[in-house]
Amino acid sequence: MDIFSNLWLGASTAFMPMNLFYGFIGCLLGTAIGVLPGLGPTATIAMLLPITFGLPPEAALIMLAGIFYGAQYGGSTTAVLINLPGESSSVVTAIDGYQMARNGRAGAALATAALGSFFAGSVATILLAVAAPPLAAVALNFGPAEYFSLMVLGLVASVALASGSLLKAFAMIVFGLILGTVGTDVESGTPRYVFDIPELYDGLNFVAVSMGIFGICEILRNLENEHERSVGVRRVTGLMLTKEDFKRIIAPVLRGTALGSFLGVLPGGGAMLASFAAYAVEKRVSPNRAEFGKGAIEGVAAPESANNAGAQTSFIPMLTLGIPGNPVMALMVGAMIIQGITPGPNVISDEPDLFWGMIVSMWSGNLMLVILNLPLIGLWVRMLTVPYHLLFPAIIGFCCIGAYSINNSVFDVFVMAGFSVIGFALSKMRFEPAPLLLGFILGPMLEENLRRAMLISQGDPSIFVRSPLSLSLLIFAVVVLVLVLSPSISRKRDEAFTE
Amino acid sequence: MLKIRNGRDFVGGVTMICVGLLFIWFGRGLEAGNSFQMGPGYFPTMLSLLLMAIGALIIGQSLLVDAEEGEPEAWNWKAYLLVILGPVGFGFLLAGLGLAPTMLLLIVGVATASRYANWRHSILLGLFLSVCSVLLFTKFLSLPVSAFGPWIPFIGELF
Repeated sequence: MDIFSNLWLGASTAFMPMNLFYGFIGCLLGTAIGVLPGLGPTATIAMLLPITFGLPPEAALIMLAGIFYGAQYGGSTTAVLINLPGESSSVVTAIDGYQMARNGRAGAALATAALGSFFAGSVATILLAVAAPPLAAVALNFGPAEYFSLMVLGLVASVALASGSLLKAFAMIVFGLILGTVGTDVESGTPRYVFDIPELYDGLNFVAVSMGIFGICEILRNLENEHERSVGVRRVTGLMLTKEDFKRIIAPVLRGTALGSFLGVLPGGGAMLASFAAYAVEKRVSPNRAEFGKGAIEGVAAPESANNAGAQTSFIPMLTLGIPGNPVMALMVGAMIIQGITPGPNVISDEPDLFWGMIVSMWSGNLMLVILNLPLIGLWVRMLTVPYHLLFPAIIGFCCIGAYSINNSVFDVFVMAGFSVIGFALSKMRFEPAPLLLGFILGPMLEENLRRAMLISQGDPSIFVRSPLSLSLLIFAVVVLVLVLSPSISRKRDEAFTE
Repeated sequence: MLKIRNGRDFVGGVTMICVGLLFIWFGRGLEAGNSFQMGPGYFPTMLSLLLMAIGALIIGQSLLVDAEEGEPEAWNWKAYLLVILGPVGFGFLLAGLGLAPTMLLLIVGVATASRYANWRHSILLGLFLSVCSVLLFTKFLSLPVSAFGPWIPFIGELF
């Protein structure tokens, strides 16, 4: 079997002591920072990206992936313990998880989250290993027209599945695409929007941009209505689940995993949508639905499995097509480009060590999280009590050095400061910053493919509808758009996000 | 009668139009080319026009649809100013002062943005983080920045 030899190859990369070590550090750092309130996975990854620059590509990506699951997991810990979700995908976990903690079952809730996540992560890893090669093989035949249409579909879908106003999300995508054109034009060598600043000839640095609009901007928002949290954290005891608990979580974990794996692949989907959907489904079908909201263990098991499965499978479009579906994946694409790897269908054949190593490291990373988190829970609880007025100066300090270290130049620090202002102004006008980052990362690729396609067709735009593949991708994009715009669906969508 | 029903969206739409205009203005020297052979200005100009169109739609929406009730905005100008100027100051001072004093100043400076800050904690945190960042970044990751810069003549020479 091909898949076994591939996984074997991956295991030989992922289990190299150095890579295991960086994966471990990633999980540890990710959890530690994910536990800190007010720092989501996107901000965490943006902040920690610079420290991976010096590493070899495999180690850097394994570490970043570890940071991602760690941050994800850390978010659910705070959701259970103090009813404060660290990030959007654990919002629903807080509902029943916190109730369980109040009933003295915090240990059981955390154990459920850990085991559910581990199971979901293992399934999603296998899914990734099975689905990625054929998908990449299809994508290898893509010409510029197909790529252009695929990216349009990705951008449209990511808007459709996000919350908030559609028009505003589109505005953010276009704004991001425009920002992506800053720098030297690849085809003609003409500098664009550089204002004679030499640092801008390579374009705006995406790490500085994302630190500004996610990291610093979040701090600004948090300082607006700052109030000291009195965190009354209980001692966590009783990590073991009873037989009864096991019986109750098996079905929700399976359903959550299936739903999360599917939703994670969709552009714009990923962990948040997965956890919301899984909770909503569970509330309908569970035999114990009367207990929901009062500390039902199913209400922790399903969304936690789903968000981890979704987090994992959202790597599929990123690794096989080079198209990021959510801001975290956009940062991963950026990290790959910095490491000199062009994300896309070629990665699997050109860099098999890296590709399969990353996939196997997802499984080992999940295992580490289970081993790491349950015994270390006391440490995470202690981190929760760090007051915010000591935390945010440290984050700013770290972002400043991080931005400086990108090119060893203070220019990127100024870019970061500038984008924190832009991001903040946008958020005051209720524009979501996530689509901006997607547009910014995809902008140069979109332009390149558009120009190449038009060159091939000698300026005839019908090239996008003549290829059946490209046509079907565009039709799909239109269908998604129509569905979202139709009143009944948009009402459902609002319900899903408010639930 | 048209009246602005959603002020925030109205401002947002106007902002998008202004952004589009800015990019068109600053990109006016770029050759647009034609759809067969696109010049460097083609894509950004098209996008700017698209952004302006979306901005116009947002404005239209703000005239027709009422704003939903939301919690009133809190503004904390002191925090904005300190948090944004902190990194800018860091950028200007880093080369002259070196990493350790700049870090200390940055931390103590931005910490005052919080209403719970007190000087003793901020200075201790600043000292702690400057030592950590010097160890991690100049010694371990060997960034080309010294712990103490040329503006601090005596200590700077010791390192």
